[in-house]
Amino acid sequence: MRLAPRSLHARLLVLSALASTAALGVAGFTVASVLERFVIEGLDERLDSQLTLLASVVAADGRIDRARLEQRLATLQAGPGWRWRIMTPTETTGSSDFPILDPGPPHHRPPDIARDDSSRLIPMEGASEAGVPVHARRLTIQTDAGPVTITAAAPRDVVLRPIRGALMPLFGVLILLAGLLTTATLVQLRVGMRPLRRLREQLTELRTGLRGTVDEDQPTELRPLAAELNALAAQNAAALAGARQSAANLAHALKTPVAALAIDVRDDPARSAQVARIDTTIRHHLARARVQVANHRMATALAPAVADLVETVGRLHLDRGVDFAIAIPDDLSVALDPHDLDELLGNLLDNAARYASRGVTIEAHRARDDARRIEVAVSDDGPGIPTAARDKVMQPGVRLDEQGDGHGFGLAIAIDLTAIYGGSLTLEDATPSGLRVVLTLPTA
Amino acid sequence: MRILLVEDDADLGPRIARALRDENFAVDLADDGIDAAHLGETELYDAAVLDLGLPGLDGVSVLRAWREAKRDLPVLILTARDAWSDKVAGFKAGADDYLVKPFRVEELVMRLRAMVRRASGHAQPRLECGPLRFDSQVGQFELDGLPLRLTAFEWRVLSQLMLRKGAVIERLNLLERVYEGDADVDSNSLEVIIGRLRKKIGADLIETIRGRGYRLTCPA
Repeated sequence: MRLAPRSLHARLLVLSALASTAALGVAGFTVASVLERFVIEGLDERLDSQLTLLASVVAADGRIDRARLEQRLATLQAGPGWRWRIMTPTETTGSSDFPILDPGPPHHRPPDIARDDSSRLIPMEGASEAGVPVHARRLTIQTDAGPVTITAAAPRDVVLRPIRGALMPLFGVLILLAGLLTTATLVQLRVGMRPLRRLREQLTELRTGLRGTVDEDQPTELRPLAAELNALAAQNAAALAGARQSAANLAHALKTPVAALAIDVRDDPARSAQVARIDTTIRHHLARARVQVANHRMATALAPAVADLVETVGRLHLDRGVDFAIAIPDDLSVALDPHDLDELLGNLLDNAARYASRGVTIEAHRARDDARRIEVAVSDDGPGIPTAARDKVMQPGVRLDEQGDGHGFGLAIAIDLTAIYGGSLTLEDATPSGLRVVLTLPTA
Repeated sequence: MRILLVEDDADLGPRIARALRDENFAVDLADDGIDAAHLGETELYDAAVLDLGLPGLDGVSVLRAWREAKRDLPVLILTARDAWSDKVAGFKAGADDYLVKPFRVEELVMRLRAMVRRASGHAQPRLECGPLRFDSQVGQFELDGLPLRLTAFEWRVLSQLMLRKGAVIERLNLLERVYEGDADVDSNSLEVIIGRLRKKIGADLIETIRGRGYRLTCPA
């Protein structure tokens, strides 16, 4: 299982969230400890002043001056849970419920306030019998009778309450800050990743032929990538041109000897059929090779291309006496390589002229439901294709009429070409009779 | 009918020439563009068959050179290039027809005959002159409904007269369209052919216009 998310966006977001959480955690912890230390120090000072008061009642011989103690006890600051105790080698006196104490953690030890050779001050932690945590200070003084320890304790709550009071709003602010940081990261990612997204969109357009190169005016980090992509596209285009050239060369190289062979065997029907098969195969594969490399999109004006093709097809079928009617607005352009447009419409017009009894119509207009598409319809008034046979005709390379060139070959090329350019081709009945081929093509 | 065949392939050129001669065409074969341009500009042809990929000068340039020299002979482009863009470019350069290799000889012959017939101003393939009938599509003559057997030379002369029936055809013009460029032409041979034709179709149809040439005169 992958732990890192696949999306760069998510990765950066997760990393940034982890980092800000960690930073805020450390900040919170630090603030809390510093705060605790300040408050503890304040408490320690109060306990230490109590210790000083209590120490003054212990005489040098180790005895406790009771009268003085009574007097001092009145001035001892105290609240609920504040306790004190004096232990001499001979007696112990102090408040009731004195808690059980341990030496506190070393970091609680402040610089000793009354450090001298005879006395030692240590912090202590513990809990009262009721389980209330306490903080304490113990002063050990040397007397002639031996060491005397004086301890003053206060509930930790005295410390913790102000800390809690300070930390609640602090954590609230920290959580708010974490939210703000995450939002800032999201915005940064969105803005920062925008050039990448734009580059990807351009790359899609490059691949589908809508543009020739990607924009090289990119942020510094993306500029080499854009340049590499353009170099790759140029290399591709060169390979494409090379493939087209190879196809043309192969056509010429094969067709001329096949033409000579066809003349040699023209009185032999069996061999003529073989040569015809060779010819069909060559034409089929060359047409395919051309179609597969065809994806250069550029704006090609429809009306002039159709006018040239109609002139050409008309001359090729001069003796059939077919009339062509053209209804194409001058401002229509399609996003097709002009050679591919010629190939596409040439085949359809040629089929139509071949099968028409009197006339061929070619019309074009912007598609009603999609302004980015152009609809082109080529109709003839010939016998048409029965609905049942249309599916078969739509399969590549199928020839309805095995004598001469049927609809199939040219139609197959037209189908392939429209598919490559993201268009569509459908067969319909022409009125009153004949075949109507309807194309949708992308506008330029 | 005399054809200029421009084909650089050493296998294909002579084969097409032979196949066309079998159909009674007189054929001059040029195997490079420069020769082709020169022949087309200086000799008289009824039509030309032009390959596009040629050494010396490419086919489209040859065609342009002819058109610039006001040579309006019908031209059929015979090429391996089968893209529609190539066909459009061929017609734009002034071609009259376009055929892709490999091709059926029958189709080439049919298209050549149709081109020549249309260039002579006939919309319909069947021509008539009195008892004489010519199906220009099949290249067949009939006299009084019966097929007429003709030698290649007789066919060339009679088809020329038939395509321009009623008009005087200059003797030299007729000679040029009957004999191939490298033929050894006897000064009397045309008269011999005319004489044989008169024996076959009757003496009245072909009229000799003294000092000028011949005319096919059709009885009303």
